Amino acid sequence: MRKCFSVFKYGTALLGAVFLSTALYAAEEAAPGAKGMSDEEFTPVKEVMLVKFVQMEKPYHLSVHELGSAFKEVKGVTVNLQMQDKAFPNGGGSVKTAEVKGIHDGMTIFFQVSWDDATKDSRVIAPQQFRDGVALMFPLGKVTISTEEKFSPRMGDRQKPVNLWNWKADWEVDLVAASGIDEVSSQYPGMHDDFSTNPISQTYHKGLMQSPSILAGGISAGNLFSLPNRGRVVEDLNAEGFGTLTTQDHQDVDGCSAYEHGCWTVIMHRPLNTGDTFDVQFVPGESTYFNMAVWNGDKEDRNGQKNISTQWHPLELERIAW
Amino acid sequence: MTLVHNWHLGRRMEYPYFESRPKHQFAAVFNINRCIACQTCTMACKSTWTFNKGQEFMWWNNVETKPYGGYPQSWDVKTLKLIDNGENTWYTNEKDEKTSPYGVYEGDTIFEAAKKKNLNQWAVGYVPEDKEWRSPNFGEDVAKSSKPDESSSLPVHNRWFFYIQRICNHCTYPGCLAACPRKAIYKRKEDGIVLIDQKRCRGYRKCVEQCPYKKPMYRGLTRVSEKCIACYPRIEGRDPISEGRPMETRCMTACVGQIRLQGFLDDNPKNPITWLIKNQKIALPLYPQFGTEPNVYYIPPRWAPREYLRQMFGPGVDEAIEKFMVPSRELLAVMSLFRMSQTIVFEYRIEEGPKVFETMIHGKKFEMYNDTIIGLGEDGKEVVRTTVEEPIHIRPDKHYNSI
Ligand code: SF4
Ligand code: SF4
Repeated sequence: MRKCFSVFKYGTALLGAVFLSTALYAAEEAAPGAKGMSDEEFTPVKEVMLVKFVQMEKPYHLSVHELGSAFKEVKGVTVNLQMQDKAFPNGGGSVKTAEVKGIHDGMTIFFQVSWDDATKDSRVIAPQQFRDGVALMFPLGKVTISTEEKFSPRMGDRQKPVNLWNWKADWEVDLVAASGIDEVSSQYPGMHDDFSTNPISQTYHKGLMQSPSILAGGISAGNLFSLPNRGRVVEDLNAEGFGTLTTQDHQDVDGCSAYEHGCWTVIMHRPLNTGDTFDVQFVPGESTYFNMAVWNGDKEDRNGQKNISTQWHPLELERIAW
Repeated sequence: MTLVHNWHLGRRMEYPYFESRPKHQFAAVFNINRCIACQTCTMACKSTWTFNKGQEFMWWNNVETKPYGGYPQSWDVKTLKLIDNGENTWYTNEKDEKTSPYGVYEGDTIFEAAKKKNLNQWAVGYVPEDKEWRSPNFGEDVAKSSKPDESSSLPVHNRWFFYIQRICNHCTYPGCLAACPRKAIYKRKEDGIVLIDQKRCRGYRKCVEQCPYKKPMYRGLTRVSEKCIACYPRIEGRDPISEGRPMETRCMTACVGQIRLQGFLDDNPKNPITWLIKNQKIALPLYPQFGTEPNVYYIPPRWAPREYLRQMFGPGVDEAIEKFMVPSRELLAVMSLFRMSQTIVFEYRIEEGPKVFETMIHGKKFEMYNDTIIGLGEDGKEVVRTTVEEPIHIRPDKHYNSI
């Protein structure tokens, strides 16, 4: 007999009454947590999305209602979504489809994504709050994708990096916040605070606010999530596989959104050509691919816990006809 | 998953990364018996690192009362439930001084429970809501009483509570690090301190979810997570007052009850931290069954029910209390080092003194020698010298309040 005692003997009943430096060390990954991918995933869907050439009236206002009319006559594609079930942590599955449309005016490319979501989650201040979001993903460089020329539809891989555009619901709120970022006190009205980030507030402490390293790690590290006045709602990123997502130094993408009748409509846009080697470049008359993911904040979606499409979607830019 | 050795559990266990131990590991010994819950440590930390906006609820150091207290509320009960498979058992006759000093734990760790439950993530866990973080003093000084009419006397009190002092454990197998899908959390090779890279973090809160001790915290202002950084500038000797020598953290040096000693766990048998933890086994890990191999070690409170303590500190509780109640000559000397210096002691030397006292404690003979203990720094130079008998200083009667 082994001599033993149970750590739960006393039981839960009793208890139940109630900054940055040097080398990465433990983190040499033994098992990536990603299971194999099927041939089907390396085969792009058949339907090609035509990114229509549309002559836009300038200057255009960045609002879904004004830009939306340009998409009226454009045929989009329906993208099937499912839970992310390969990389740890798995998750998602609450959003089944999204509709994507594309237009360009010879200078700028616009993508409109819409999907149903019963709750609007645009604040991530409390620890239990998670944001709604959407991301478009493009292969970097000129590629063809097939079972012979494999290109992972899930964040790319070491040899085949991707460019991602990630719109976040809370960044829309930050954009119009007086202090450049949604205040903690908007989640907790009337809370006591010693230091306000709002320059017109009585508790604004200029000296403190201007010494970011004292203020907050995220701000002093220049993390785009933490910086007030980031001035955009879409993050421009790269990845070469699971866990490698990295914010670009140069941000080129912006967008706008509307939440109406339980449906998000998000428009993301960027100049066709940016000259940045980390960006996908669009040429009228040529084709590439896109893939996408949607996060439902209400379901605690974040990171790999998301609704994804498991196949690339081809897209073709219509030639310019002046 | 790979198999790594966890000496707290006396066995190999599954972990997503390979075993890789630092040169020496940041570690501390907290003597629960002496804590007065003055929260000076808590305020020392707060006023250094978490005084700012969005950190209102953050207490990287907190002191809670057991059995009813918890910050966040009921954190340990909730996590214990997640790993409870009905057979969380220790086999205490399967001991090996080096690899399994407490015996062998055969229950599930947070990593193994996640695999068994097919959770498709590295560890079990949960994200506490704001209301759970709100009352750090919940249950403070509330006693548990099994027989309310009886008075309490040692060895075990019928009416009891004790304080537990909590910081990040800078675990050998951190749950937070395993959980992070971005690898934004890293453990430093030089001292084993676990940090969140504030630039790579995207506020996913997987670390908040999968740290069983609930020590990473989400900051609404910056939308990323933060955690105890073990005052690493002091550890590196970069605090101006440290004069370039490794210095203990703010919470340690502020300790009024003199319950805390911090240094590094290594292989040197004359390192006071290593001696107390590995050689004497008088200081024990908190909830070793979680499987992260935490590096803050506790001398358990001698008056609390043993079964409760075993659940909390594993099967080493009885031996630790026995040794603490009737301390050996060397233990008395080493315990005298607590809070005598801010500079980290890497090694000690004892100069023998005369016998000054003897008595019987719980049927055992106790002798006290007024030995001198000398603490040496990283460079081998003396940083502190003290005696077992506290020096007495009598105030001259010229003061108004002199007796
Ligand atoms: S106590 Fe929690 S936060 Fe600290 S190293 Fe361990 S798992 Fe990570
Ligand atoms: S300062 Fe020391 S005695 Fe006071 S609460 Fe903290 S650990 Fe306990």
